[in-house]
Amino acid sequence: MKQDGVKRWVAVIGNPNAGKSTLFNALTGLRQRVGNYPGVTVEKRTGTAFTLHGEAIELIDLPGMYSLLPQSPDEKIALQVLRGESPGVPRPDGILCVVDASNLERNLFLVTQVMELGVPVLVALNMVDMAESRGVRLRPQELSEKLGIPFIPTQAHRGKGLVELRAALGQTLLHPGPRQWTMPPPLAVAVGQIAAAWRDSLPAEGRAEGKALELLAGSDVGPEGARKLAQAWRERFRKEAYDWSAAVVHARYEYVRNVLGEAGMIGGTRVASWTDWIDAIVLHPVAGWGVLAAMMVSLFVSIFSIASYPMEWIDSGFTWAGQLLESQMPAGILRELFVNGILAGVGGVVIFLPQILILFFFLGLLEDSGYLARAAFLLDRVMHRVGLSGKSFIPLLSSYACAIPGIMATRTVEDPKDRLTTILIAPLMSCSARIPVYTTLIAAAVPVALVPVWGKAVALLGLYALGTGTAFFLAWIFRKKMLGGGSPPLILELPPYRCPAFQTVALRMWERALIFLRRAGTVILALSILLWFVSSFPKSSEDESINLAGSYAGQLGHWMEPVIRPLGFDWRIGIGLVASLAAREVFVSTMSIVYHVGGEEGGLVAAMRGAAWPDGIIIYSPLTCLSLLVFYVYALQCLSTVAVAKRETGGWGWPAFMMLYMTGLAYFAAWMVQIVGHALGF
Amino acid sequence: METQDVAGEGYSLDLTQVGAGTEVRVSRLECPPQTCQRLREMGFCENALVTKIRGGADLVCWVCGTRVALSARLAKQILVEHVDGRS
Repeated sequence: MKQDGVKRWVAVIGNPNAGKSTLFNALTGLRQRVGNYPGVTVEKRTGTAFTLHGEAIELIDLPGMYSLLPQSPDEKIALQVLRGESPGVPRPDGILCVVDASNLERNLFLVTQVMELGVPVLVALNMVDMAESRGVRLRPQELSEKLGIPFIPTQAHRGKGLVELRAALGQTLLHPGPRQWTMPPPLAVAVGQIAAAWRDSLPAEGRAEGKALELLAGSDVGPEGARKLAQAWRERFRKEAYDWSAAVVHARYEYVRNVLGEAGMIGGTRVASWTDWIDAIVLHPVAGWGVLAAMMVSLFVSIFSIASYPMEWIDSGFTWAGQLLESQMPAGILRELFVNGILAGVGGVVIFLPQILILFFFLGLLEDSGYLARAAFLLDRVMHRVGLSGKSFIPLLSSYACAIPGIMATRTVEDPKDRLTTILIAPLMSCSARIPVYTTLIAAAVPVALVPVWGKAVALLGLYALGTGTAFFLAWIFRKKMLGGGSPPLILELPPYRCPAFQTVALRMWERALIFLRRAGTVILALSILLWFVSSFPKSSEDESINLAGSYAGQLGHWMEPVIRPLGFDWRIGIGLVASLAAREVFVSTMSIVYHVGGEEGGLVAAMRGAAWPDGIIIYSPLTCLSLLVFYVYALQCLSTVAVAKRETGGWGWPAFMMLYMTGLAYFAAWMVQIVGHALGF
Repeated sequence: METQDVAGEGYSLDLTQVGAGTEVRVSRLECPPQTCQRLREMGFCENALVTKIRGGADLVCWVCGTRVALSARLAKQILVEHVDGRS
């Protein structure tokens, strides 16, 4: 502990996929999300770890970075924290650098930079088991002696080395010694002069050399004299065509190779592994696409087949609860509120929990196995044609779960125009909140008996493909026609495959289940009560349908109907569209309330299939269902997505554009479905 | 096809032109500065040894103990030479 009794802060840093978050979780007992692909962590997270003596230390888990010259927003976030420039986070008292022991050369490159930050450094030599299996002979003691900082061997995923790490964290962390790598002569003169100018202004600065390198790299933080000198040297190097930044990288790597060579730790020559065997199939230009398609089809078939059993159980549970309330409670407003408001609204959404969990199970397998980076590799060519790089695919794939983490994951995309384009199209990837809407409408569109499970799966796959295909087309317009510039080339680390950890996948499913149920218990419950009220009052008749038509919601729906009538939607669907502006799945709960079905999924589908226009023509014809489905594929019915897009783009302009173009597209496309459908005789 | 070395030091191959399974040494990077910086940080420094694992439109290399995927247009900007001195 610091002498003044204030808690110490230690930043956890390292290359992407070095196991930082796994170690952070092991030390803090938290459940920070982990995965087997670069870029899982895109923002800083804090948690408390305890040393062996019980001292509480605040750990800050940072996004992975390859160097301290950041290129992507997530790397900039990490550097801000390390420099003490992040709002609300003090400058770290120490840095825990997590290095992948099987890849020391590149990982120690970052360590040499971290050692120049003027903060004590401790190294966790992680994944020692993997390094040893590759034939690398690890000598942590020798590394400690050569670099002058402690190296603690760990296997974070097995909890090994944590005791030693906690003990080391409990001791007074020491500042690294002076720079050991040899600076090339022209650069050494420049750095010496800039550092001297810095010291003249700020004599207390103990890491003037590191600051001088930062100034040369373009930083504008520092004394004016030092900044001007750095500018002059930068100009001189440019005129002399001297690539000083390349010289620094070479010198650091040279130093690292020497250290590893002297420690007898150069090894780990590449031998063909089962990762190569799997890659031979999944990265194959033909077979790779087959694997990807097979996985997607399996996912959608599972969503309908496996999920149907637990969905029936949940359905029975809500039906039983509704019957119980009707038999035990006296007739009146309170019973109506519980049965037709709360049970219908919340039950109508909760029933889809098994389908959402299956989606997250598959996504968890993809993430934890290491396949996700391969999918990005496979899709790079497609992405390149629309002006993006394969790196944008990972945020887009995350958006199948939810657009919010998807948009946040764009922080790993270096190119600002690429990142903006990815943010703009991310909500077009069908998220899990659309599943309740899709499956309800697919069931309403076609009789259950006529369509086998695989038919529904293909229909669902088609909706996902429609959203994805449109997203790529719009990416081409936004990136190539609006924003301009070429697409950046792909540079992506492919992690070795590993067997997905059951605990990681189960944890992700559990977290998503909690989020889903929390939404059902808060937002959807509140909206259900509100909707029940506005669709029940003012009371104008004992007849439910007449009463609904005259209610506040009914009046709003009737007012909207002329606008949505060309899409084949009636005023009741209009109520659903307005209510689901907050969140898409609210459409299903709204329809359950509007049709008074008391939370039964089958009941809602039956009620929708029986709904008719005043002239007797059914409302939910296959054509109107398709129109509504297309509307939901495109519409941005999610206020949380708008809020996160505002935060990530730094203003309301782009989120407003996103809302306008998606709503316009949804309306136009649904209208086109009607026009084309009628022209074809449907 | 071989690329003329602009420095007049002979001929260099780019990374797309070597066969899968071949180990080569990086001789020069010819990409924009920011991309060069990231490539070097990831191990594609001049003189670094790189093994091309997979070829094709995009390719996979083994460098500094990890597999790194590169798009072919970037790989064309990485000039290499055979480890045994052949070019």
